[in-house]
Amino acid sequence: MATIKINGKEITVEDNTLILDAARKAGYEIPTFCYQADLMGIGSCRMCLVEIEGQRKLQPSCITPVLHGMSINTDSSTVASARAGVLEFLLANHALDCPVCDKGGECELQDMVHKYGPRTGRHAEPKFKFHEKDYVLSQVIIKNSNRCVQCMKCVRVCREVVGRNVLGALGRGDHQEPTSFNRTFLDCDMDGNCIEVCPVGCFMRLPYRYKSRPWDLKGADTICPYCATGCRMVIEERDGQLLRARAQLGVGLNSETLCARGRFGCDFVNSAERITKPLIRHQAATWAEALASVKDGFSGKEGKHIGGVAAATLTNEELYLFQKLMRTVFGSPNIDSSSRWNSDAASAFIHAASMNEGGVSIFDCMEADTVLIIGSHISDENPVSEYIVRRISSNRRMNLIIASPRAMKLDSSANVKLRHLPAAEKAVLDAITLVINAGKLSEAEKLKAIKDSKMVDLLTAAGVGVDEITDIAKRLSASQSVAIVAGTEFLRFPDGTSGLALLKDVLKNLGKKVTVMPTLDRCNQRGAWEMGVHPSFGPGYATAEKGMDTEALLEAAMRGEIDALYVVGEDIISDYPDREFARTALSKVRFLVVQDIFMSETAKLAHVILPGASFSEKEGMFTNQEGRAQSIRKLLALPGKAKRDLDIIRAVGELFDGSFGPKNAVLVLDEIRQVNPMYSDVSLLFNNKKNSDNRLDNRAALVKCAAGVLPAAGEFASKAVSSRMEEHSFALVTGSHLFHLGRFSRKSETLLGLIKGATVEICEDDAARLGFVSGEKVKVKGKNHEVLATLKTSTGSKSRVAFIPESFEDAEVNRFFRRGEGVPRVSITRANQ
Amino acid sequence: MEKILLKNIDKPGSHKLDNYVRNGGYKAFAEALKLKPDNIIQMVKDSGLRGRGGAGFSTGLKWSFIPKDPTIPKYLCCNADEGEPGTYKDRAIIDNDPHLLLEGMMLTCYAIGAANAYIYIRGEFVFGANRLDEAIKEAYAKGYLGKNILGSGFNLDMHIHRGFGAYICGEETALLESIEGYRAQPRKKPPFPALAGLYGKPTVINNVETLACIPAIIEKGPKWFSSIGPEKSPGPKIYGVSGHVKKPGLYELPMGTTLRDLIFNHCGGMLREDRALKAVIPGGVSAPLLTPKDLDTPLDFDSLAAKGSMLGSGAVIVMDESTCMVKAAFITNRFFSHESCGKCTPCRDGTPWLTKVLKRLEHGEGRPGDIDLIESLCGNIFGRTFCPLGDGAVMALRGALKNFREEFQYHIDHKKCMAS
Repeated sequence: MATIKINGKEITVEDNTLILDAARKAGYEIPTFCYQADLMGIGSCRMCLVEIEGQRKLQPSCITPVLHGMSINTDSSTVASARAGVLEFLLANHALDCPVCDKGGECELQDMVHKYGPRTGRHAEPKFKFHEKDYVLSQVIIKNSNRCVQCMKCVRVCREVVGRNVLGALGRGDHQEPTSFNRTFLDCDMDGNCIEVCPVGCFMRLPYRYKSRPWDLKGADTICPYCATGCRMVIEERDGQLLRARAQLGVGLNSETLCARGRFGCDFVNSAERITKPLIRHQAATWAEALASVKDGFSGKEGKHIGGVAAATLTNEELYLFQKLMRTVFGSPNIDSSSRWNSDAASAFIHAASMNEGGVSIFDCMEADTVLIIGSHISDENPVSEYIVRRISSNRRMNLIIASPRAMKLDSSANVKLRHLPAAEKAVLDAITLVINAGKLSEAEKLKAIKDSKMVDLLTAAGVGVDEITDIAKRLSASQSVAIVAGTEFLRFPDGTSGLALLKDVLKNLGKKVTVMPTLDRCNQRGAWEMGVHPSFGPGYATAEKGMDTEALLEAAMRGEIDALYVVGEDIISDYPDREFARTALSKVRFLVVQDIFMSETAKLAHVILPGASFSEKEGMFTNQEGRAQSIRKLLALPGKAKRDLDIIRAVGELFDGSFGPKNAVLVLDEIRQVNPMYSDVSLLFNNKKNSDNRLDNRAALVKCAAGVLPAAGEFASKAVSSRMEEHSFALVTGSHLFHLGRFSRKSETLLGLIKGATVEICEDDAARLGFVSGEKVKVKGKNHEVLATLKTSTGSKSRVAFIPESFEDAEVNRFFRRGEGVPRVSITRANQ
Repeated sequence: MEKILLKNIDKPGSHKLDNYVRNGGYKAFAEALKLKPDNIIQMVKDSGLRGRGGAGFSTGLKWSFIPKDPTIPKYLCCNADEGEPGTYKDRAIIDNDPHLLLEGMMLTCYAIGAANAYIYIRGEFVFGANRLDEAIKEAYAKGYLGKNILGSGFNLDMHIHRGFGAYICGEETALLESIEGYRAQPRKKPPFPALAGLYGKPTVINNVETLACIPAIIEKGPKWFSSIGPEKSPGPKIYGVSGHVKKPGLYELPMGTTLRDLIFNHCGGMLREDRALKAVIPGGVSAPLLTPKDLDTPLDFDSLAAKGSMLGSGAVIVMDESTCMVKAAFITNRFFSHESCGKCTPCRDGTPWLTKVLKRLEHGEGRPGDIDLIESLCGNIFGRTFCPLGDGAVMALRGALKNFREEFQYHIDHKKCMAS
């Protein structure tokens, strides 16, 4: 600890605290441009200069750590003149076109000059101009370098946080310009973090250009509706149109970062394709008529012939009320929250990831000696989680191990990257466990154990080498604490969950601290499970009467056993891994109610369609993948006659039971708190808690341990693929795209502008072998389906693996799949052959 | 004085290893390999050698900051990015006596335990880079570099890294960034390079002339070395004289030679007898200029600092009374603003502003109040920049303004030069 004096006030802080942080702690604000917590300090803007007693020169407080006994002055006349001097220099060549600048009104340079700056300008020389007209840097970024203050935050956030490295500086001195290589179009992640960190109007949003002034915007502090990272952001509207989403420095686990989907993809709520009135057999109807029709459809039906599927993009309150409706009013245990994987897979995953033991902070995970990421293409699926992993892993000594069939951006931060065959998570984990267990044996025994036939089988199944596995095992064995980040592949290929559970136990038995953090791809998937939208457990993972999941419901429907099905927000036909089966089955459902905001494939078959609300039109709570309960806030009015999902679900309940409730979101939350012990302490206020230090972690929001113990998961059949294949043959895998996830993003104008048609990604070597080049049209042909897609090559992916994202309508990737057939084989040929 | 640093440069074939060895080269290195590294550091400390790159920091002390842990890789970087206007001393050694530099580097590496050394050479020095490349190849061939050098078990590899024309690369941390392949901009200090330098490992960065002093110190002993020149900054010094003198060139003299001795004795006096001395820049353009009243100042670190100037690189620029100080100040300042790396605000935006004002003055477009503006801008730059580049620009300008303020005023009032 160091005791120092700031402006005469004595304060004790930890050693190596920056003067800037110490001063802020003591209550003195120091202005900065280039400083940003979480970015490497460069001390270049010189706004934060302070006076240290006994030192001749002013020192930059953002890179100077305190020393015991230091006496610091942050507001002397010398400091004030230095600040004014720096601002005068920054303004010397600044464009000063504030009246036409998008940043005007929320510009840090404006604010600083107003607060600290010289009152008159003395620069009476010609200004240096980088260019005359703003230039477009990407589909989402437009740039005006004449306004730049050279803080280099854009360059640093791109390199250190996003890991893309597409920005750098051209030129030298006052000609220095942070931009892309030769100002050419950026091939970047389009996340716009450079825009967010830019203190002035240099990097600007192209979609928001000239649309509004900051003071004309009304905002709401909410949670991103895409993946389950749970990024906090402010969405802002003007005249009923959502104009932008932005993150806030030091707020939420994401701080100032978002990904392309979050920052630019929320405009789907403005879409003209929103369903705005109830429809009965695709004819406009009033709510009274629609509800009467629902009443008819469900009346007199037995619980076992009724089913309900609610999407994991609804709020906890809605999901809770939905399962209550199904279980208590309709007497049906047939409830599910996903059509992409079955409920047993979900149970096994919840068990293996110990989700019932309460929330796990990603920041705690990243304090482990070794972090193993498996079954998750985290770079595309959960980009902001990836930013956190990248940032922390580059700042501390730790092992980062990535096991995945596909290469990813985070590989560059990894100590070990393992490329295994798709669906081989179990083989990989079992092989690692085998080697760790062999660690207790003598050298000779170890060799024998490693050479035994089981190991050979596992290595063949995974398509990996023994050295890679032993390297990983060695690193795990040498660690005191291990964090495993397990992703959605475990839900697609649930046999891996037993491998995960086993490795977790083996490491625990060796006395290591083991945490498992799930990564999920729907904003409230974890909430959906914890609210009991699952056929085998109720809220808080409490044991419940076993019902049918989506898959079983479809099978029953095929047999003509489903009388009424209530689907909220889920598009079963587009998501279920066997499109034709889902379509046929759903067409046999006697009464299908779909509640959604867009006309989905499933909705097209519905007898009654109820228009719901998007995340921006309602209040409620999402639980992210870590188990962090965070609230979303209403910003926009509902379009047309649409209603909030909670109100619709309650209205449906009231058709059969007048006392069905609770009656509003706050009361539902109260009931959740009572019924679900994991949520007994959650509060809507968590969302608005600002972290005083730079840890960006709000532990209070993590859900608690569940009361009950989950039953152990059953065994699953392996869907592993063999590595022997014909020349053009690939194993097809699917998942999220960096720009598109689920269905909402496909209605976002901005995201569609980034990429519209489907892509198929294979590794560079395979492309070279087959004579393909990136960007050409290829034909992907499976047993049941074929599509034309744009070829994309990736460096370092497993050979013979093809990836088609699941969101693209033109690919209908789930038509490649057949129930019970595992990973499909496809052949890839030139489009014109 | 017996020549030490420039003793070989005039001999034919002086860049060849054989000739260097014939003249007693690599003897010190062979001897040193029998000593403990710490002894060598102590000898250099005792010699009182101070860095010749400009800052004048004790070389032995700098070396002693390097951690002794043998498991940590360490590096030596030779700063051969000689870019200060007026300076050309290192080039003479690089071009004509490369093995002297190499031997100095070998001794340094042995002393600090470095197995890799880099020579960061200014991009324009193509000839020098080729000479060094040949010399390094010769040294490898003769077993002075590589594995198990002269059977001592000491390994050393040397690499040449050519710059690309940025003055800032002479700043030691910018030099490290450049070797690592990043944009050459200075790093924050601390951590100092002695603890976290090249690739984050302990690193010594020394100037060419400093390293060239080492073989003689080892060979003849620290006592001999410290007996040359003044007590506080001993040793030989190469003064590179340019400007209005009869015989400009490199002069190796004991540290502390007076300006008068240098100009009027060694350089043969002013170029034209009818033009009197007006000003002298004693150590590269960053050093504030001196006037004839300072002619008896000894050219060493402390004496020049006492006069408010600095020894810098020892590049002495002599100007006679025909020189327009406004023009000189403008040209100097234009250099600094052109070479400003762009990292910190005061230097990036301040020096070009000064240049614009000085350009106006020089071209007869001065406005009343310009001198006050210059002084105020200088105050906003000095001491507030990230590295000494901005300070250097201000010091040079302030020196001119302090001594020749009336010339600047004349330019504003009469729209023309006082000197011509």
